[in-house]
Amino acid sequence: MSDKQTTHFGYKEVEKDAKAGLVAGVFHSVAARYDLMNDLMSGGIHRIWKRFTIELSGVRRGNSVLDIAGGTGDLAARFSRIVGPDGRVVLADINDSMLKVGRDKLIDGGNLGNIEYVQADAQYLPFPDDSFDCVTIAFGLRNVTDKDLALRAMLRVLKPGGRLLVLEFSKPRSELLGKAYDAYSFNVLPKMGQLVAGDSESYQYLAESIRVHPDQDTLKQMMEDAGFSRVEYHNMTGGIVALHRGVKA
Amino acid sequence: MPDPTLHTAALAALEGVINRALALDSRSGEQLGRLEGCVFSLDCTSPPFRAFLLPGVDGVALAGHWDGKVTTAVRGEASDFAELATASDPTATLINGNLTLEGDSAPLIELQKILAGLDLDWEAPLVDTLGDVAGHQLAEAFRGLFSFGRMAHKSLERQLNEFIHEEARLSPPRLELEDFYHDVGALAERSERLEAKLARLRSRIERLKS
Repeated sequence: MSDKQTTHFGYKEVEKDAKAGLVAGVFHSVAARYDLMNDLMSGGIHRIWKRFTIELSGVRRGNSVLDIAGGTGDLAARFSRIVGPDGRVVLADINDSMLKVGRDKLIDGGNLGNIEYVQADAQYLPFPDDSFDCVTIAFGLRNVTDKDLALRAMLRVLKPGGRLLVLEFSKPRSELLGKAYDAYSFNVLPKMGQLVAGDSESYQYLAESIRVHPDQDTLKQMMEDAGFSRVEYHNMTGGIVALHRGVKA
Repeated sequence: MPDPTLHTAALAALEGVINRALALDSRSGEQLGRLEGCVFSLDCTSPPFRAFLLPGVDGVALAGHWDGKVTTAVRGEASDFAELATASDPTATLINGNLTLEGDSAPLIELQKILAGLDLDWEAPLVDTLGDVAGHQLAEAFRGLFSFGRMAHKSLERQLNEFIHEEARLSPPRLELEDFYHDVGALAERSERLEAKLARLRSRIERLKS
């Protein structure tokens, strides 16, 4: 079987066509308790990572924003308030369970009027060229089957001068932190998943998918290869997470 | 750029405390809403800390990073910011103080007047965020900072008075000076009496000679 026909699903090699369905299964399973698990797994720090993402997005009143793999709508809720009634926020997710949880949460939180909900695959974004001032994808790119294809799709839908922000788990800068993080991810995280979401396998997959995701410099190169300019990244919490930013020239 | 996690977390916590305090004064939203769209860059050189403050009807937003246009940029030490925050005349403080200002000063003066005019209770939001002991202590510090302006003049005058008179002995205390003046007055009276007595004796001697 050649590389073109297979891809990673955590540590497993699976057929490319099968990955989307397998990832969908993971997120169907955890959708209902996704926010709670995120808080437990990160000690609440994921909110800080997302806050910094919003700061670097440079989104202003009246802008249009696409939040891919938007999950339960943390970023979309903030963007909705920033862009105001003249702006537009599209919450896109490939997984309908996550989208439903996100939509309910946003509506319950009073975020109405400028948010649209679209079930979409990051590789084949159903939007015209040059549509958005900003595209974000937080903790979603590692689940995408063909990341290069997805990055090119994001470039296409961005307006010239628009920004892509990729918030994703990455490689810790210190070896000691890396070992502690590994021990936590493979021993504590699946048990926590079993306890809270009743599903240890999905969280085992999350831990594995983080390890096979490209490191900081590799992802930077991938964004440049896709056509982004002025690509830079910021390590957060010792490199456990990195925020990459690129601009469409 | 250093790891932004801690800085972002600190700003998030500070923003939460400020907004919970602001929410306790019903006038704050309407007043801060007048400055919506303004961005203030606050660059503290000692201790080093940088933030962007964005006022709005929901309170204030604090950001560690801002790519867009800044309305007013202020740079100085923490004590300079405290002086401005508590000044009764912020315009004079900006002109005569150590803060460096770039951009439009009018929105900054308006912001200072709004915040100084609000009756903010820092204790409840700080206790909620930090717990009873630390929250109370920090609230005392905030309270001290914001009442500093009202008390500073009297306190400084009293302390300077004590230092000059009692510690450095650069000038005698008022009571000591009054005692001294009293003694001088008494001495002058005694001298005058002595002089009069001498004059009487001199005239008596003249009469005996003749």
